[in-house]
Amino acid sequence: MLAGKGFKKVFNVAGGIKAWHAKTAIGPQDLGMDLFTGKEEPLDVLKVAYSLEQGLYDFYIVMEKEAEHEKVKDLFGKLSEIEVKHQMAIYTAYNDISDEEPSKDEFEKMVEIKALEGGLSTREYIDLFNPDLTSETDVISLAMSIEAQALDLYQRVSSKIENPQSRDIINQIANEEKAHLASLGKLMDSL
Amino acid sequence: MKWMQFLTPAKSLDFDETNAYISQHPGDKITILDVRQPSEYQESHIPGATLIPLPQLSDRLDELDPEKPTLVY
Repeated sequence: MLAGKGFKKVFNVAGGIKAWHAKTAIGPQDLGMDLFTGKEEPLDVLKVAYSLEQGLYDFYIVMEKEAEHEKVKDLFGKLSEIEVKHQMAIYTAYNDISDEEPSKDEFEKMVEIKALEGGLSTREYIDLFNPDLTSETDVISLAMSIEAQALDLYQRVSSKIENPQSRDIINQIANEEKAHLASLGKLMDSL
Repeated sequence: MKWMQFLTPAKSLDFDETNAYISQHPGDKITILDVRQPSEYQESHIPGATLIPLPQLSDRLDELDPEKPTLVY
């Protein structure tokens, strides 16, 4: 149907979702979309993204405390450090385009902490994935599920955002999530 | 009669090829199109996929960019 309607390149994903062995996302198409109105200016987008990263950072810190297995504790610690880097990148991007250049503390005061990255709350994630906190594989798998969910959210939001510069920022963050997902995959393979 | 619309000249990509294609292209440069029902999408979908159930597809084609490579499942 698409090819006959002027679509230049159409590919059929053989086997559909059943053949898809990488991480999937869940939820309806509007899941987490309420975090964005669609009217955000570039600075607003960065604030929301920062809050989502903060949610995930908090989540990993809580999980680090809850985990009893030493290796798993370390892993959650490492994952939380990665989120700090994400946040730093977002804060730097904010200062690059803001006239005010707030300090990190001032910036954090402006940011309202919302849901986790990916648009689900901590409890929803734990209930959903029910990770075995003694298993490194389970922990990385959980992190990959969250990254997949985040990638999914940013890509869905991208089509809703009206300001082209804001949309570019969202797309850039989505591409970074994709890279994070790939690096977690490598980490999983290395176990 | 535009016969092209009745044929399916779409190339098939297996899992590895699809995964590689998605990894190599920024998300805003391609469309991943899920044509299943909303309940199926809700249960599990490829991250970033746009949902347009097959029965609605012909009426909603204007929501998609024909210039972008489109991966359909």
